[in-house]
This record gives sequence, structure tokens and C-alpha cells, in this order.
Amino acid sequence: MIGDDRMDVGYELLDLQILDRDGMEVGKVDDVEFHLDEDGVPYLTALLVGPDVFGHRIGGWLGRVITATTRRLRTNRSGPVRIPYDLIGSVRSAVTLTVSRDLLPEPELEHWLREHLIARIPGSGHAQ
Amino acid sequence: MKKFFAVTLGILTAIGGFVDVGDLVASSLSGARFGLALAWVVVVGVVGICAYAEMCGRVVAISNRPVFDLVRERLGARVSLLNLVASYLVNLLTLGAELGGVALALQLATSVSYLLWVPVAAFVLWVVLWRVKFETLERVFGLLGLTLVIFAVAVFRLPGHGPELWHQALSPVPTHGENWNTYGYFAISLFASAMTPYEVFFFSSGGVEEKWGPRELSEMRSNVFVGFPLGGGLALALMAVAAQVYHPLNVKLDTLGQVALPAALAVGKLGLAIAILALFAVTFGAAMETGLSSAYVVAQHFGWAWGKLVPPRRAARFHTVLLVSVLVGAAVLLTTINPIQLTEYMLVFSAVVLPLTYLPILVVANDRRYLQDHVNGKLANTVGVVYLVVIVVAAVAAVPLMIVTGAGG
Repeated sequence: MIGDDRMDVGYELLDLQILDRDGMEVGKVDDVEFHLDEDGVPYLTALLVGPDVFGHRIGGWLGRVITATTRRLRTNRSGPVRIPYDLIGSVRSAVTLTVSRDLLPEPELEHWLREHLIARIPGSGHAQ
Repeated sequence: MKKFFAVTLGILTAIGGFVDVGDLVASSLSGARFGLALAWVVVVGVVGICAYAEMCGRVVAISNRPVFDLVRERLGARVSLLNLVASYLVNLLTLGAELGGVALALQLATSVSYLLWVPVAAFVLWVVLWRVKFETLERVFGLLGLTLVIFAVAVFRLPGHGPELWHQALSPVPTHGENWNTYGYFAISLFASAMTPYEVFFFSSGGVEEKWGPRELSEMRSNVFVGFPLGGGLALALMAVAAQVYHPLNVKLDTLGQVALPAALAVGKLGLAIAILALFAVTFGAAMETGLSSAYVVAQHFGWAWGKLVPPRRAARFHTVLLVSVLVGAAVLLTTINPIQLTEYMLVFSAVVLPLTYLPILVVANDRRYLQDHVNGKLANTVGVVYLVVIVVAAVAAVPLMIVTGAGG
């Protein structure tokens, strides 16, 4: 971090792993959301997770394909998972949240694959 | 005392787990073609994998993040996406080659065509990765892999193990009737077989799941610095028996049976049985590791939940990639491609992607943000940089040499 309330977002935050309170993977920091305060100074409001924002950020034809595919496969209009800045506990070799991932919207691909494939295979509820 | 056993078990597992189908094929083939004239490459490869595995282990122990997870932060989103695609495809080829090795070993034991064994092996592999206590099985197969020692025994029971082998090992040039291109091509295959990318992905992911911390550093180092060189010794034994049996006759190897045959010549039926068991154990063990690694790289790149400690329904994307990878690996073999050839191609393409695997490890191992005071010292960095040069040379030369020599033809 540069100072207490400043950080180099590109170097220190983008592409970092996000973990929940219990150390479970939530996703990567695919992009970040800024708002402007009254003086026009931008401040960080949320981390964004999802293939569409990832595709948008890397750009080029590949990025466009990723974004378009994700949007087309969407079953509802939820958009990327948005994690408000308030939920961030610490930023070290990963971003650790102060909440469990069960409280966040579940990524659609995870949901779909679980309901249609993985949960139908016997033994899917047991860890080794 | 308990600690002592844990360390010993770790080392023994590392020895047996070091050898996979790539080492089997590369060592035996080059032993038959060049005697021990390429033995030095195995030594070079072992030093390389030791240096980089130690870095990976350190990164895991201090930052608790697997290496592939950190690659994206350091290479940036776009380059790491390319890295992901390349690493995944090579991993898939490796998985196919290992499954082929399992099926061929079963064919040797049963005389039933390996093509019939492929679906069985793939299904059992998937069940193991889905449900069974993985850690136990990893240990079991690592220890069973120690039966490769039969080849070390064979070295001393076969004729020609005296000064002749030393003479070959000490004259590192193409043997009579071979040229430098073929020599270089086999050297690259051998080097790639020691440093196959999945090894570091698997090693570091396993470390995260076993929750390594700074206290485990010495145990990790003893596994790496004792286990891997002894495993490399087994690869050298495979090369030596091929040099003793096939090199004088000018026979080129093209089956897994020929890899096992020297054990039969030296020790008889029992030797053959042990050799087949060893081939089965090391390829199945490596199939488990490559299967998991395929899913690790994808999940870790996108930040998905991964691993064997989470119930599959809590890591649906990870388990889907795992399932699809095993299916594709089996499908590649069912095209009736020769598994030995598949292994040779796998080694060449491994060599091509080696820089993408090892450069980020060197970068991360120097980053204080992850490693604090445990960043690379002068020795680790010197070895790391020297090897990076070697790796880049091998990567650039791999495909041209494959074309010029007709894949070693």
C-alpha cells in the first residue's frame, strides 16, 4: 500500500484472489468499481467478479468473445458479482472478506454445473 | 520418532513419485540410442526441478497461495490467459500419455489390448479423484513406485555394467552413426521429462491443501533435495539397462514391453512381474497428479474453489473440468494414437511451454510481498536464472529439432 487510504489498484488489487471469511475461494478481482466524491476525486467502491468484466478488461477480440459468450449464456440479468468495499477485511497475498461466501450471489456457472451435473453424481456432498 | 517417519515417508513418496511415463520413455529410448551419453541431462534436469520445486514450496509455505494462483497477478490478465491455455493443453497431453502408460502396463500383465483398458483406467482414475482418500492413495502409489528399484538391481545383474557404462557417461557426444540433431532432440526430451510442468502445479497445490507453513519448510526441502535426486537415480537406472541390453544390438525401442524386458532378462519372471507393477504404479500415480493439475490450473486462474478437501458440490466448476479432462485424455488415446509416440510429443510440447511455467515462479519467489524474508537468496537466484536460460534454449530448439529429426526417427 502507498499510504493508509491509497493503493496502486493495478499492481496491488487487480487479479488478486478473493477468499471469504473461512478461506473459501470467491473469485479473482476481475475489475474494480470507482465512484466520484463531491470534489470529483475517485474512490474505490466495490470489487467486481465475473467472466464478462474480465473479458471487458482484457479487451481485444478474445475479450469481446468472452464477454459476449457470458452475457448470452446468462439466465437472468444479474451481471457480475459485486463485492462492496466494506466487506474487505484485509489485502495481503489474497483479499480476505469479513463474510462467508454463502452470503454473496453465487456465480451462475457454478450454480448451473452443480444443479445439472455435479450434484447428480453420487457422493457429491462428501469431502474426502 | 513420529516426525522421523513422516519425513522418511515423504522422501520415499517423492522418490517413487518422481518417475512418470515421460521419464520411462525418454530414459529408455535415449539409453537404447545413445548408451549413457545423455546421462548428464538427467542430472541437469534433476538439479533444475529441485531448485524450482524448492521455490514453489517456499512460496506456498509463506503465502499459502499455490503458484498458478499468483501467476495471474504477476503476468497480467492477458499473458496469463495464454499461459493457462498452453499449460492446460500440455497437461491434458500428459494426462493422456500417463493413462496410455497405465493401459499398456495392464496389457503387459493381462495380454488384453490396451485400448480395452483405456476406458477402465479412465473410469477408475475419475472415481479415485472423486471419492477415495486421495492422500492415502498418493502415498500408496508413491511407495509402489519404489519397485522401480528392480531396474537398479538389473543394472548389476546384466553384462556390461562395468567400465563400459562409465566410458559412455563420460563421453557426452553422439554415438557412432548418430548426429548432433538427434542427440539434441533426445536431450530436450530428457530435460523436459525431469521438469514436466504439472510437477510444480501439483506440488504447490498439494502444499496448500496440506497447510504448509514456515515450520514445514525443512520437511519440504528434505523431500525435494533427497527424494527427487534419488528418483532421478531410478531414471538413470532405466537408461542404463536400456544401454546394456539394446544399445549394443542397435535396437530402437517402441513399446513399453521393451522398457520392462531388461528386468526379465536380469531377474527372471519375478523381475518382470515387479517391473510391470512398477510401470503401472508410476503411471497411475502420475495420472492422478496430471488429472488434478489440469483442473487446478483452470480453477486457480479464474479464482474458483478447488481441491480435494471441499465436497464436489461446493466446487462444481473444478470437478467439471476434472471430469472433462479425464474424458478428453481417454478420448485422445482411443484415436489409437501410439501412446509411446504421444509421450514423445508431450515431452516436446512440455519443453515449449517450460518458460511460461518457470519464469513466473522465479519472479514470485523474489517478491517480498508474498515471501517477506524468505525471498530467493543469491544461490537460488543464480541457479534459477541459469536454468531459465537453459529452459528458453530448450523451448526454442524443441520444435525445429523435432521437425529436422522426424521426431528422433
